[in-house]
Parts: sequence; structure tokens; C-alpha cells
Amino acid sequence: MLTYVARRILATIPVMAVVALFVFSLLYIAPGDPAAVIAGDQATPADVERIRASLGLDRPFLIRFGEWVWLILHGDLGTSIFTNLPVSKMIAQRIEPTVSLMAVTLALSVAVAVPIGVVAAWKAGTWIDRLIMAFAVFGFSVPVFVIGYLLAYVFALELEWLPVQGYTPLAEGVGPWLQNLILPATALGCVYIALIARMTRAAMLEVLSQDYIRTARAKGIGQYGILFVHALKNASVPIVTVIGIGIALLIGGAVVTESVFAIPGLGRLTVDAILRRDYPVIQGVVLLFSFVYVLVNLMIDLLYTVLDPRIRY
Amino acid sequence: MNAPTVNPAPPGVAVAPDLPDLLPDIKPRRGLVGFVQRHPTIAVGGALLILIVLMGLLAPYLATVDPTALAPARRTRAPSPEHWFGTDMLGRDIYSRVVYGARVSLTVGFSVAIIASAAGLAIGLVSGFVRRADGIVMRVMDGLMSIPPILLAIALMALTRGSVGNVILAITIAEIPRVSRLVRGVVLSLREQPYVDAAIAAGTRAPMIILRHILPNTMAPMTVQATYICGSAMIVEAILSFIGAGTPPTIPSWGNIMAEGRALWQVKPFIVFFPAAFLSVTVLAVNLVGDGLRDALDPRATRRL
Repeated sequence: MLTYVARRILATIPVMAVVALFVFSLLYIAPGDPAAVIAGDQATPADVERIRASLGLDRPFLIRFGEWVWLILHGDLGTSIFTNLPVSKMIAQRIEPTVSLMAVTLALSVAVAVPIGVVAAWKAGTWIDRLIMAFAVFGFSVPVFVIGYLLAYVFALELEWLPVQGYTPLAEGVGPWLQNLILPATALGCVYIALIARMTRAAMLEVLSQDYIRTARAKGIGQYGILFVHALKNASVPIVTVIGIGIALLIGGAVVTESVFAIPGLGRLTVDAILRRDYPVIQGVVLLFSFVYVLVNLMIDLLYTVLDPRIRY
Repeated sequence: MNAPTVNPAPPGVAVAPDLPDLLPDIKPRRGLVGFVQRHPTIAVGGALLILIVLMGLLAPYLATVDPTALAPARRTRAPSPEHWFGTDMLGRDIYSRVVYGARVSLTVGFSVAIIASAAGLAIGLVSGFVRRADGIVMRVMDGLMSIPPILLAIALMALTRGSVGNVILAITIAEIPRVSRLVRGVVLSLREQPYVDAAIAAGTRAPMIILRHILPNTMAPMTVQATYICGSAMIVEAILSFIGAGTPPTIPSWGNIMAEGRALWQVKPFIVFFPAAFLSVTVLAVNLVGDGLRDALDPRATRRL
């Protein structure tokens, strides 16, 4: 078990190395010369050369890559071209809304998707099942910002139940915080709910055809006991896996959702950085999100043994 | 009409009456009606998709005015008989822009699906068949896969100037790892098949085995996958354009129209609504075809999913 954990953690190193190499190449081949930008319009070519040398930009690719990785391992993500602030600081300022949005979306999606997936499997072939699966197809097809605008229009503009846009920090109370997050989380969650509900249904159908489910039924265990205790626990491995993989959808969707609902998070930071071609910021955000994604999936891999004791390493 | 003569039963013997024919007439309907009955999702999705493709192809004949024609005097008009979907901030006719926008979405969707499938197929085949390449290729793919696809496309778009070609390239690169993984998985399981062993034993060379035995079997899952890629590529294109990192604003695309309507959406929601509705319906059509193909090509998966 311990060797498995160690091996699994070690296996993420080459993955992160590829990510780092890719993200670094992004800056390396990015158009525009940072030395020329810093030197300004009045600079002579000699000035630019001097600045380039002082920034270490004239050295070979691999040496610069090594140095860059070294700095990142020490928490230094570089400096924004536009604001001259450290990227790590800019990310720290914007991280709370994004983490809040993703956490609320995750909780909401799992709370909705797993039960409806279970019901769809239980009532497989009936109209309830068809309805849930039809919803899943819609969830996959309607882009997140379309759902976002629709929800905002109906619930914020027409019915005035919830705020249209913006974000309230958690420090100002859970109520206002949650109020601002309900619509964006619902919009962002639609694809995710569709994905998890489909997987839950598939995994449950597989488990419900097993002999021990018949045994449990023969013992007189009630329908809900069978579904949620016996079946769901055994169907949990693929469900949890897809929850982990789906985090990628959440991250991508968060960028757009934050634009629609004017949430000042990492997604907005990314969009602003793209419009300004602020490559160090883009790099930092991509690196951070990828790291989180790899970490989440690593934890899920390690969770398998807890969920299913038959899995041994 | 005489019934066929049957020997009369000898007296005193009871004869059972003729049993009714319990088997219903199975007459599989052929032609269009039969196809619609057997694959309703493909039929509905395909019909919608054909309509939208026709709309894109016939855009110059359907559109009422030039989609880029400015008319500052007629800004943000609500939908009316003159401007079916209203006009945007610069007075451009939204109906015409939406009709032309279909071209961008369809081009991006189909191009990405085809290019990503072809590239993924090549990488997956090599990786599944050449043991030495497998390790390296799959590590690279794992790395690319751990960058969320939309973010990867955004990062690539930040490097280049916005153009439809670059959007296609960026989304393709983001999609390739998943296709490669799929193909590699199929190849690895096919390699264990007795008929592949037989082909190897018979001295068939590797390229021929790939061409004859492996490639045809990857086609079914690839087709389904390509359809889903097409749908998601359309969404990613709209997202990229929406946040300003995609199709250049001079080209009317659904994402661009929505981006332009963003600032005004609370007062003029129709600017965002129409392109959003068309995009959703198009992606839905593609996904319906995908689901239908999956059910038709892999009956086992139907029971599972």
C-alpha cells in the first residue's frame, strides 16, 4: 500500500514536468520581446541588449527552463508584464472567488447528480429515466454561458430573487456569499451534473444486475437500503473517477462563468491577461490549475482503496 | 376458394382447432421511415444538423443584408419585421450575422473533429503498436491532458493572432490527447485478439496488420468520439470568441455576437439570446447524432450507458 502511494506520487512528477515544459515554452515562443518592452520606445539596440543580458534572456533554453522551475518550486511565478506585481500575489488576490465558485459547484453538482443518476438506474427504461437522460444530453449541449445568461435573466432580472452579478467575500457572511454564488454555480454545474449523472446511472446499472443485490432483496432490505447502501457504495469507484476528471470541465467553465457573472476571480484574471498578452500571468494560472487538477486526481486514485477494499496494491 | 384438402379425421377422434399464429409479422421497414424508427436520435439530430449546414451554405441567399454593414442610426433595435433578430450596438443586422455565424461554428467543429481524429489515430496506432514509443508518447499525452482543455486552447490562442485557422489548431491540440488515449486502448485490446496473433504467425508485416486488422476496428469508437469532439469544439470556439481570444471580431461568429452583446445583455437580451439559441441547438444536434451512433455501433455500451 505504502509503496503504491509512493509510486503513484512519483508518477505525477513526469506529468508535471511535461506541463511545466509546455507552459515554459509558451513564454519562450511568445511573440514580443520582454527586454524591448521594458527598455521602452526610446531605447537603443544596445540598451535592449544590456537589459536582455541583465534579465538572463540571452541564455540557452534549458538553462532558463531549469532556473524557471527552480523559482517556481520556491513559489516565485514571475512578474506580470502589465502590473509589475508578482504573479503569485495577483493569483492570491483573486483565488477566493474561484475556489468558492468551484467548491459550491462541486457540492451542488454531486448532491444533485448522484441521486438523479441512482433514480435513473433504478427506473431504467421508464419515462423518469428518459427525462433524466434527456436532461443530461441538454446539459452537454448548452454552453455554460448560455445557461448563465438564461438563469440570470429569469431569476435575477425578471423575478429579482437573486443578485444579477458580482461576488461577496465569505468574510462578509455565508448568506450573501452563497446568494451571489447560486446562479453561477448552477450554470457551471449543468455540464458537470450531466457527466456525473450519466456515469452514476451506468455504474449503478452494472451493480444492480449483480447477484448480491438479489440476495439483499431476498433478505428483505428495502429499496432505498439496496440502492444507497449496497449498490451505490459498490458503484462509487467510477463515479468518483468521473468527478475527478470532470474538474477539468469546472476549471474551463469557471473562466467563462466569471465573465458572465462579473466575479473577480482567476478566470477574469486569465481573460484580462489574454487581452493584455500578459504571458507570465497566463503561465501562472495554467500551471496552478493543472497542478490542482493533477493533485485532485492523485487523491482520487488514492481514495480507491478506501471506497473499494477489494482493490489492493 | 377451396381450403386445401385435409384428410377428414376418423370418426371419434377429436381434432384440435388450428392454433392462431402468435408470431407477429416482422417486417423491418426499409428506407427513410425504417431508419427513423430504428435510430430516432440520429434522424432528429441529423435533420437538424442538415438544416444548419444548409443555413451556413446558403447564408448569402438567406441573409437579408450584409452582416458587417454598419448602420449607426439603427443601433440596438429590438426584433422587428425589418430586422428579425434586431440590431447590435453598431446597427448590424443580428439575423444576418447569426446566419453567417453558422459557417464559423460548422467549419471549426468539423475541421477539429477530422484533424484531431486523424492525428489522434496516428499517434494512438503508433503508441499502441510500438512499445518503445509508447512510454514517451503517453507521458507527453498525460501531461497535455492534465491541462484543462479550454485553458490549453486559451494559452495557445494567447500566443497567436486570432484567426479561424488558429482557433482550429488550438482546439485540435487540446483534443488530440484524449483521442490518442482512446485509440491506444482499442489497439492494445485488439493486439490480444487471436486473429492478430494468427496474422503475425502467418508472417504479415506490422503495417499490413495495422491496415487490415487494427484500423477497421478502431473506426466505430473513433466515429462516435469524432462526433463528440465536433460538438465540444463548437462550444470551445464560442467560449474563446466570447472571452476575446478566438475568431477575430471582424468575422461574425456566434461567440463574437455574444461577446458584443455582453455589455448590453441586461437591457437588450436579444443580442445574446439568438446566437446562444443557435449554438445550443447545433451542439445538441451533433450530440444527438453522437449518442445515436454510439447506440447503433456499440450495442453493448447502450446497455451500460
